[in-house]
Amino acid sequence: MNTFGLLLGLATLFIIGLGFVWVIRCERHFGYLWWPYVMGFGTLVVLGSLFISSDWGSALLGAFGASLIWGSTELKEQAIRAELGWFPFIREKIQPPLKAIIGKWKAPHL
Amino acid sequence: MELNFIGLVAAITAFLGIWLGHVSVRITERNVRRLWPSITIAITLGIILEIWSLMTDYRLLSTALGILGITILWDAFEFIRQEKRIKKGHAPANPDNPRHARILAEHPSATTLDLLKRDPVGHPVAPNEAITLVTEH
Repeated sequence: MNTFGLLLGLATLFIIGLGFVWVIRCERHFGYLWWPYVMGFGTLVVLGSLFISSDWGSALLGAFGASLIWGSTELKEQAIRAELGWFPFIREKIQPPLKAIIGKWKAPHL
Repeated sequence: MELNFIGLVAAITAFLGIWLGHVSVRITERNVRRLWPSITIAITLGIILEIWSLMTDYRLLSTALGILGITILWDAFEFIRQEKRIKKGHAPANPDNPRHARILAEHPSATTLDLLKRDPVGHPVAPNEAITLVTEH
């Protein structure tokens, strides 16, 4: 029996679960306009996984990168949830570099 | 140096699995009269994919099946969570679905409006403003 896929699936579930937490926390303190940076970082993490010779290391890094990319598309809705009072709202946020330009882009949501 | 494609396969499967589940759970929950057939199908499909993943010796296939199977098993649970969101008004109810019509009648917080379908405004929003923000365009 090959338990690699099943164990990796469970590990991925945990990584996705962590995504719920960091999306909420990051949006609260930094705001949703960081999304292009998170998406770019996630892409780099996925590409980096190509160069890890260990299958476990590569797979976990790939799943983590994918959850970063997915999370970047969740930040905008999370900002609205906080505005609606479904999550705590903090007005003072640490805004990203090039905020004015990013603000003109349509934040992705899938 | 040889590239290791396990991570890329894991990433693509995880991303597509989350996306597929996210969209299909919402659409299905919105339209079906009873939730348990969808939940049963998701659990069965998830278990089949995990067994298949256990039986293959091909690691790339085992990776994809393992991750996809677990995300589909999670989707079974998401059907229940999605119905709770409908009750709280955190996701829009479908008045044409008898199950949702009942939720709308029994839960004052339920709504047919998608309160998330707008851009952030940068300040806390009162319930009345939350409605005007998604209805006035």
